[in-house]
Amino acid sequence: MKVSIKWLKELVDLKTPVEELVRLLPLRTIGTKEVTDNFIELDMKGYNRADLLSLRGVALEAAAITNSPTGFKPAVIEQITYDADFPKVNISVEDEKLCPVYCLAKIEGLKVKPTAQEEVKKLEDSGMRTVNNVADVTNLVMLEYGQPMHAFDAEKVRGCVKVRVAKENEKITTLDGKIRDLNKEDLLIGDENEPIGIAGVMGGKDSEISENTTSILLEAAIFDPISLRKSSLRHGLYSEASRRFQHGLTKTNLLQALSTAIKMYEKLGGKLTAITLTGDLKDEVKKVKLSQSKINSLIGVEIPPNEVESSLKKLGFTLEKEGQDWEVTVPYWRMDIDIEEDLIEEVARMYGYEKIPPKELEGEMPQKIDQSFPKFIYDLKKALKEAGLTEVQTYSFYSSKTINDLRLTIYDLIKISNPISSETEYMRDNLWPNLLEVTAINIKQGYKDIAIFEIGKVYILQKGDLPKEQYRLSIALSNGTTNPVEELYRIFQGVNLPHFQGVQLSKSVTLTQKEYFHPTRFQALEDDGQTIGFIAEIHPRFVNKFGTEQRIAALEVKLVL
Amino acid sequence: MEEKIAQIQKEYLEKISQSTSLKELDGLFLDIFGKNGAVTLLPKDFSKLPEDARKKVGPLFNTLKQELEKAIELKRVDVREESYKKLEGESLDLNEKTDVKSRIGLIHPLDQFEHEIVELFSKIGFQQYDAPQIDTDDFNFELLNIPAEHPARDLWDTLYIDNKPQTTSNKLLLRTHTSNAQIRILREYKPPIRMMVLGRCFRHENIDARHEHTFDQFEIVYVDKNLSMANLQYLSEYFLKSVLGEDTKVRLRPKYYPFVEPGVGIDGICIFCKGKGCKVCGGVGWLEVAGAGMMHPQVLKNGGVDPKIYTGIAWGPGLERILMLKHGINDLRLFRSGNLRFLEKFK
Repeated sequence: MKVSIKWLKELVDLKTPVEELVRLLPLRTIGTKEVTDNFIELDMKGYNRADLLSLRGVALEAAAITNSPTGFKPAVIEQITYDADFPKVNISVEDEKLCPVYCLAKIEGLKVKPTAQEEVKKLEDSGMRTVNNVADVTNLVMLEYGQPMHAFDAEKVRGCVKVRVAKENEKITTLDGKIRDLNKEDLLIGDENEPIGIAGVMGGKDSEISENTTSILLEAAIFDPISLRKSSLRHGLYSEASRRFQHGLTKTNLLQALSTAIKMYEKLGGKLTAITLTGDLKDEVKKVKLSQSKINSLIGVEIPPNEVESSLKKLGFTLEKEGQDWEVTVPYWRMDIDIEEDLIEEVARMYGYEKIPPKELEGEMPQKIDQSFPKFIYDLKKALKEAGLTEVQTYSFYSSKTINDLRLTIYDLIKISNPISSETEYMRDNLWPNLLEVTAINIKQGYKDIAIFEIGKVYILQKGDLPKEQYRLSIALSNGTTNPVEELYRIFQGVNLPHFQGVQLSKSVTLTQKEYFHPTRFQALEDDGQTIGFIAEIHPRFVNKFGTEQRIAALEVKLVL
Repeated sequence: MEEKIAQIQKEYLEKISQSTSLKELDGLFLDIFGKNGAVTLLPKDFSKLPEDARKKVGPLFNTLKQELEKAIELKRVDVREESYKKLEGESLDLNEKTDVKSRIGLIHPLDQFEHEIVELFSKIGFQQYDAPQIDTDDFNFELLNIPAEHPARDLWDTLYIDNKPQTTSNKLLLRTHTSNAQIRILREYKPPIRMMVLGRCFRHENIDARHEHTFDQFEIVYVDKNLSMANLQYLSEYFLKSVLGEDTKVRLRPKYYPFVEPGVGIDGICIFCKGKGCKVCGGVGWLEVAGAGMMHPQVLKNGGVDPKIYTGIAWGPGLERILMLKHGINDLRLFRSGNLRFLEKFK
């Protein structure tokens, strides 16, 4: 969210310099991404503060944290002036769950022109471009109130406006000129004949405001955020409007925004000639209990009751004292506040997180649990280091080169359904192929003697709830000789850990990966009669594919206590 | 000209088929495609030809090129396969007392750092817990107060598993954070709980010097009566002073994570400018090093812990980032590259 500084100053009578607001925002409210002379960009990624997606919301917050008054009264619902027998726009809403509120106003007598310079600046500081005076009103109002709006060219809309689910195979050309295939999961706005917009995501090209437009249908609505998010993701359309719909909207804001937009159109010479409002237009009033003792115990600081009250009041909450505690009424624009802990966060941030003093941990120690496995893993790493080996880490995936060159059977591997690229499509079920790849890369870099190991998880398909994850040790050695297996075995023998004391070589086993090994240089490693891994020279046929003529030996064992 | 091409083709195909070593083939390759190679020099005479002849010669020349390249490639495979036959005669004697070279070993810097952190928190009673890296949507998101289609999911671009076992109806994914351990821990152990989780996490992220799809996280799950943000401040100082030095300053600020309330972001004073503001910290004097918060009552409930009796702290730093700052590492990808030139600096 790019907050225009000039615009913000119109809404708050800032009692501190802007620099102080910029300093306070991350400490009291939200991180900032970029600050220039013209705007402050708030880091809204994944945030739950829908109110901060509007200039008025930011103004209320800025006023609270800088002790300044706002230049407007937030809670007053401005009247939309029309009588009960005022003409209506013909609309129908198919499913109120998907579209709880839908308002459409017809405004006539407009003339499309460029937007006034002052408003162009507001748009630009907010990161938006000007289109024309008629279309810009919708964006200016959205920026100020957080309520997205859309203006259809009224002459291009035939008959009743319907909010409905798309039919299978229905198509629409959106404002960006692209033809979109719709399906039953898309909510759309249509007229008698065809779709004129994907609800809350993007309007249709046919009913776009053109230079000849004189009358419009102005839409202000609330759509179900979940179905809207799905549509938006599926069509790859992220707009300023769809973001706001997803974060959630309030009815009070919607009415204020609609009323303001109508007034702005009237200033442009337009006249409201028909209007229809559907749905329940009152916001639910949330009340949350707040206890003084819980505040003190959760923050770890004694905060006096008058400070609790003044902090919350500055943020627009109203409090009713109930003994040591309060019943707190949440202002309509704070949709993120539901429980007592939410209120305590408000108190804590107004107090200043940075002022909370450290407090040592008390209380009894938990029962001891078995830590022998992590200890064994670290002891093993230490022993391997002592033996002269360098630990590497490789990805949990096989590279496409490894899969192709080793001709791995991909059907046996765990597959990612949405890989970033072919390099993250299949998960490793052994460590040594990645060590082979890394060894070859280092040889090409000029290393003549390479002794590396990795300890990490491999991932194996199995029946049951989750795939099997198994810790493995793998070592790779390329020592410049034509028979590195012998030294590798000596190194492994030298790792003097009780865990490996019973490990024995076995020739007579049919190893599953034999095809990758030198025809005579491989042995199974057994512990207690169970195969736990192998030691082998990797067959030069495969080593050569990785671009080196050096001989490479590898060992791999599973690590289970 | 056509004759000349045919002659080159015949001559070299024969030479290739008669060669018996890779070295010989390398020599032949140079004879054909080198600076003064037979094929390289051919086109020089093309300009002298009349146009209709040129039109004929072009395709012939291309076929010649491709055929010879392919012949060499195939012969290389043959020669290699021939040499692989000799491997049968090589032996292996693991009872042989081979010498072991003396080398300087190394524990990977990330693992070394993680070990230091484990030691540090073991001292105050935290114990290690290992959670799966492939987990269900429930443990990674849903039970942590992050419902499907919630805008907060934008924080975690996720890699999903395609071939999940049919026994589970839950979506499988690569865990996006070590927080997938939280519910498991709460369900397995009774408070007081002091647990630490360590290990690999994954995100759907295009990689460059500052972005990785694979990274390590460390996280504390601490549940007891009367835990407060003041304890969280203590843990943050305890960690950062040990890792970045006694004179390190710590700053808490509000941050949103759906599974904590209040949510906390933890800044350490910029180790380069000591708070004055520089390029590394973007002029603000502080660097974000960890995320944390008081465990959300709904998360405690989902884990079977009564939030009226117990409170919890979840706390975790980004490990690679701190290491990069400490050692002036400028490329995140180096950690999992296996690049020995990078690793040797830590010996």
